[in-house]
Amino acid sequence: MAKKKDSIVMHEQDLQQVSAQQRVMRVLVKSFTYLFLGVMALIVLFPFYWMIISSLKSLDEYRFNVPTLWPQKIIWANYAKAFDTADLGQLFMNTAYVGIVSTLLSLVITVLSAFAFARLEFKGKDMMFGALLATMMIPGELFTITNYATVNDFGWMKSFTVLIVPFLVSVFYIYLLRQNFLQIPNELYLAAKVDGCGDLKYLWKVMVPLAMPTLISITILKMMGAWNSYVWPRLVANDDAHRLITNGLRNAFTTTTGDVDYPVQMAAVAIVSAPLFLVFLFLRKYIMQGVSRSGIKG
Amino acid sequence: MVDSKHQWKAWLYLSPAIVLLLIFTVWPIINTVRIAFMEGYNALGVLTGQQFNIGIGNFVNVLKYGDFLTCLKNTMLLTVLTVPLSTILALLIAVALNSIKPLQKFLQTIFFLPYVTNSIAIGMVFAAMFNIIGLSPDGARAESWGIINNVIMFFGGEPVNWINAQSSYEANIAVMTIYIIWNALPFKILILLGGLQSINKQYYDAARVDGTPRWRVLTKITVPLLSPMLAYVIITGFIGGFKEYSSIVGIFGEKMGPVGDAGSLNTMVGYIYEVLPDMNYGDASAAALILFGIILVVTMINLQVSKKRVHF
Amino acid sequence: MKKIVAILLLVTMLLGIGMMSGCNKQNNVLASDFVIPEGGYDGSAVTINFYHTMGEPLRAVLDAFIVEFNKLYPNITVVHEQVGGYEDVRDQIKTELTVGNQPNIAYCYPDHVALYNVAKAVVTLDDLIASDITITRNDGTTETLGLTDAQKADFIEGYYNEGKEFGDGKMYTLPFSKSTEVLYYNKTFFTENNLQVPKTWDELEKVCEQIKKIDPTSIPLGYDSESNWFITMCEQLGTDYTSATGEHYLFDNAENKAFVKRFREWYQKEYVTTQEIYGAYTSGLFTATTGQRSYMSIGSSAGAKHQRPQANDKGEYPFEVGITTIPQVDANNPKVISQGPSVCIFKDSNPQEVIASWLFVKFLTTNVNFQAAFSDASGYVPVLKSVADHPTYKEKMEKADGYDNIAYLSAKICMEQANAYYTSPAFNGSADARDEVGTLIQAAFTKDDGGNLDALIDQIFQEAINNCKK
Repeated sequence: MAKKKDSIVMHEQDLQQVSAQQRVMRVLVKSFTYLFLGVMALIVLFPFYWMIISSLKSLDEYRFNVPTLWPQKIIWANYAKAFDTADLGQLFMNTAYVGIVSTLLSLVITVLSAFAFARLEFKGKDMMFGALLATMMIPGELFTITNYATVNDFGWMKSFTVLIVPFLVSVFYIYLLRQNFLQIPNELYLAAKVDGCGDLKYLWKVMVPLAMPTLISITILKMMGAWNSYVWPRLVANDDAHRLITNGLRNAFTTTTGDVDYPVQMAAVAIVSAPLFLVFLFLRKYIMQGVSRSGIKG
Repeated sequence: MVDSKHQWKAWLYLSPAIVLLLIFTVWPIINTVRIAFMEGYNALGVLTGQQFNIGIGNFVNVLKYGDFLTCLKNTMLLTVLTVPLSTILALLIAVALNSIKPLQKFLQTIFFLPYVTNSIAIGMVFAAMFNIIGLSPDGARAESWGIINNVIMFFGGEPVNWINAQSSYEANIAVMTIYIIWNALPFKILILLGGLQSINKQYYDAARVDGTPRWRVLTKITVPLLSPMLAYVIITGFIGGFKEYSSIVGIFGEKMGPVGDAGSLNTMVGYIYEVLPDMNYGDASAAALILFGIILVVTMINLQVSKKRVHF
Repeated sequence: MKKIVAILLLVTMLLGIGMMSGCNKQNNVLASDFVIPEGGYDGSAVTINFYHTMGEPLRAVLDAFIVEFNKLYPNITVVHEQVGGYEDVRDQIKTELTVGNQPNIAYCYPDHVALYNVAKAVVTLDDLIASDITITRNDGTTETLGLTDAQKADFIEGYYNEGKEFGDGKMYTLPFSKSTEVLYYNKTFFTENNLQVPKTWDELEKVCEQIKKIDPTSIPLGYDSESNWFITMCEQLGTDYTSATGEHYLFDNAENKAFVKRFREWYQKEYVTTQEIYGAYTSGLFTATTGQRSYMSIGSSAGAKHQRPQANDKGEYPFEVGITTIPQVDANNPKVISQGPSVCIFKDSNPQEVIASWLFVKFLTTNVNFQAAFSDASGYVPVLKSVADHPTYKEKMEKADGYDNIAYLSAKICMEQANAYYTSPAFNGSADARDEVGTLIQAAFTKDDGGNLDALIDQIFQEAINNCKK
């Protein structure tokens, strides 16, 4: 008996030692993790910082032969200039409209296609998927002239359609979502079939909630696209009623001599980015929420 | 067994994508192929009724172009260097971000910031960090060595000529590698973070009960379960890497090389861009098809490997 | 493996379809020459589109003069649009041309016109200029459709001739507003040290030597554009650069190698640097008041404000800037490059649109009031000699100084050297030659010669020629 009791005490001491060691380890790992994230954060933050300080410099200071790390004199007027030169309200509405509509339509198309590739069996699936991937491999700039002729033939010039429809399908996103769908155990699908649950219902009730983080990522990327694109919009719909924000603001920072006024450009970019950033902050919650809270048990 | 009921359903689900792709992607590709075989095709010349011979002259032109091998080598080198490095780094950051509690929201927010940072700003800051201003012709003095060299010199090292005149190819490639990784990081973190959220927490709970060490959790649970997303990031990384162009313009400008050594960092897509302003679509299309062939082979290899390694 | 075969099959299939669907997109409007309709402008209502790069203050000037124009021609509606920078204008138009959506008028550089002319899209102006058709305007007055002798003579010759540099002797563009290179120098420093402002390259070399003795850490001269330097030297020396006809690229010759070698020596002695080689704006080097600086800077006349140092809180500048003509080979026969936008007119299925465009272009380029106002707002040089006598313009030129009114000083110098402007031949590829000679200078300055300078220079010239031809 005594012997046994001893051994139990011994064991408890061991456990305490181990947990002390583990605690030290955990602290070490934690501090290393924070150090690593901190350094990486500084690195990704630097260009953002540079963008903000550049937006507050005078053009003269921007042209200094040795760049300054903090503006000598803060020029808020750069922001005023960026605001003044364009009808920001209209540009914002146009861009938001194109961004939201094309994101929603694009999500529907992407979800349906990814579902077909991930869960359904049909003849030529592999070939179809291979061909889809192959379309990503040709530089898109070569498509411009042909697509320009196509939308011209369709009579779509200077409309929202021409800004939305040609880029609705992204193989990039279909592939991404397919990968995500494939991660979801097949048993769920089969079980749903047995329960008499239809494809679309299953897709909507199970797959979509499970893939929410990826869908949010796609939403972010697609919205960014609408915000940043300028070559195609300028080509096909550069009138007041349809002009998108990047093109509108470009006029603000092209100087009389045709050069770029970089500080004003940076101010313009900062203005454009602000609403986008707020949307991100809002969506971030959903990305990080993940499966644990979506109420589905795998 | 292929169920016939599913057949038409699958095609129905795919139909919106297929219709749009046929119009806005496949048709332009057909045009690209057609133009590639029309010798000396010029998109403006055709308007005046100019006729073009059918042949492989454009391909010969591209392959004969003296710097074609340089372009190919640069493209390959940058892809091979940047895809693995950026993927590993993004994976570590995503896992780390996922594992912490305090400051998690704050740090996640910071890693979103690159998305709202304009790419022009990123190019500018990079050039400024590596740029040496007023380097004397003998290379001994400079007006400003740049932030990176200041750090090197602070730790007692010798400054390096990264991107200025007379800089070495190795230094140029090093800068490009860092820049491309930096550029690719936010996207990869976003995708991998999303993927991590899709992993069932029960696996981790089980591992915790078993007292499995962290690195084993990473290699035995996280990586295999994340493998579909990793495969995606790697394969699209390769495709993107072979289409590398704008990042080089971001650092070196449209001359695609340091001062006095134009074109030394040119890439495949860089070649295509060189001829596009003149509307010489014949050469551009031929170059694009050659590039397409290379990417196709690499992607096929990638897909074969991932088929064996990816755990669904 | 099966997949690879399948995809290759698909590609081959596409290829087959592609070959068959080769269609002829010939555009009949572009294929034929423009013919002036009988009677010229018939007063019909037309809308003409004008693409440019003008920022907000310049658009305001343009709008004011469109109102003036519409008093004469109320049925011509002018719609204008800032497309972006010069290259954006080119890229937009070349794509629009493929389906016939091009504008009526556009800002252009000679090499853009050479590109548009691959599609024969630009209207030749010779017939329009020579036309003696009389047109009655809305206010009852009349004008000749063409240019009168007085109007032709009023253009600064070098600017006007740019329109004919396309190798076939025909006129394709009219100058709109121009700029050139000028020499900015630190007048305060030059006066204090009793230095002569250089008129020739030989004098420049001497001044650099003197400056290096006074301030050994300085780089006496900063040159913005290597390309301009090379091309201007060819023009000043009378050596070959390019030709619009026959063999295009002629710059690989002994005379050109000689001046490149001489300038390389200057670079090695730290007499001179360029924007790209220095790694920062040369204007930043010129306006610096601490650390390394330059005392002379050759840059665009339109950028005069960048060449002025920052004033303190009381509005006092640390030094006065002087502006003069760039150094020459022969100071009695000066040559300075002509830059800045011209305008061209595109063919259109409706000849009335072309005529209306011509009337508008003519209105802007021959109108002294417009040229004066535009020059004042932009810092560009007017294209008409008579602007110098324009009362408000004259008043401003009298205020010219090296401080607040530096833009006027720059404009004044440009007007005074009106007989010195030249343009180089324009052809599809002339922009490549321009880029290549710039790269050539960069390489020749900075590359290690390994003991054999001549071999290095020969090799660099050869590479530049090869790159032009590829």
